[in-house]
Amino acid sequence: MAPTQEELERRRIVRVEEERVSHVTSTDFPGHYPGEDHAWDLDEFRKKFKIQIHKANELDYEFDLIGVDASVANAFRRILIAEVPTLAIETVFVHNNTSIVQDEVLAQRLGLVPLRGDKKGFQHLRWRKKNPEEPAAEATDFNTVVMTLKVACTRNHAVPATETDPSKLYFNSSVYARDIKFAPQGRQPQWFAGAGEIRAVNPDILLAKLRPGQEIDLEMHCVLGIGQDHAKFSPVATASYRLLPSIKIKQPITGEDAEKFVGCFPAGVAEVQTDRKTGEKKAVVVNPRKDTVSREVLRHDEFKGKVELGRVRDHFIFSVESTGMYNSDELFLQAVQILKKKCIDFQEKLLES
Amino acid sequence: MQREGYVPPTAGGGGATRPGGYGDNPRQTAMKYLCADCGKSVTINKGDPIRCKECGFRILYKERTKRMVQFEAR
Repeated sequence: MAPTQEELERRRIVRVEEERVSHVTSTDFPGHYPGEDHAWDLDEFRKKFKIQIHKANELDYEFDLIGVDASVANAFRRILIAEVPTLAIETVFVHNNTSIVQDEVLAQRLGLVPLRGDKKGFQHLRWRKKNPEEPAAEATDFNTVVMTLKVACTRNHAVPATETDPSKLYFNSSVYARDIKFAPQGRQPQWFAGAGEIRAVNPDILLAKLRPGQEIDLEMHCVLGIGQDHAKFSPVATASYRLLPSIKIKQPITGEDAEKFVGCFPAGVAEVQTDRKTGEKKAVVVNPRKDTVSREVLRHDEFKGKVELGRVRDHFIFSVESTGMYNSDELFLQAVQILKKKCIDFQEKLLES
Repeated sequence: MQREGYVPPTAGGGGATRPGGYGDNPRQTAMKYLCADCGKSVTINKGDPIRCKECGFRILYKERTKRMVQFEAR
């Protein structure tokens, strides 16, 4: 016997109760419900799967992934954080550093600076192997990007002696990420030409402060890497998801209780509607997406048995915040590609054995 | 590149038999330091008082190495 629509909806909800969360695991797999076939089916998936884009900025993307299992959504999140390759400063060669920032501290700071450049140019870049015995361990224009930073602080004699602001008193009193200059090697001038040259995403990152006579002169080698190896290679500031909240009113909430009910949620989640004929006030849920699931309603006795809070198990509100090398939407597509490639590799391995 | 002013002691030579004693290199006895007070560069020979020639300050800093130093940005 096929389950009713109501039953199917009920199965999609993770119940949020007063002091616990129940019905956590998904049950749409074969053998769980007698007489129902839940074997994974491509056509069925195509019918149910949906993507809705809610916020589409260059560096900040929010979209809904509806109809996938938590394992898949989590795989995308983890791949975004740890497996999409980006370029970052890996080795720093210090020629001179007389600033108060120690060499190793400065090197570590430099490594964390997010870089950007021509996206097509990055496709030419290859991995640089760490093992010195492998042929790909040698630095070439295909695997290494050279950047330089050469700043010296001097006194500005044009300002009056009463001046106290270091930024006016001295030239180069602060070293910023914009001072890092790209030194193209080999074929790199063609790949990263003009506006596509490799540079810091945020030019205003403060790297060190200098005073007259102090100097920083160093060369940096950038390589491709993944977030698994070091967080500096992670292309996202955060990639996270949450489940869509669901608020079900089982019995009508009217009169003064309606006002109180609306007050239990963040602004815009629920509202009081007045019936035109009878003039009766009634609470209605408008936008459960805005809810923080604070469970405030469950604390009040007047709402006992009237509301059911929950979250939709297969509705993921994904948010991808890029650090700037790629745009957020490109990042998600790359994550999908990486997962696809892993699946193909796995399939090949299975067929071999 | 050899760091200026420093000669590693040779084994078996016997420090006492060598004229001039330990670390004495007749070619390079002058060392450059930086004055901690006025910031000027001070050249000091062996046996000279440790003192800035400009301002007389008695604290001198050794200069940073001119060799390139490699760090991992991690």
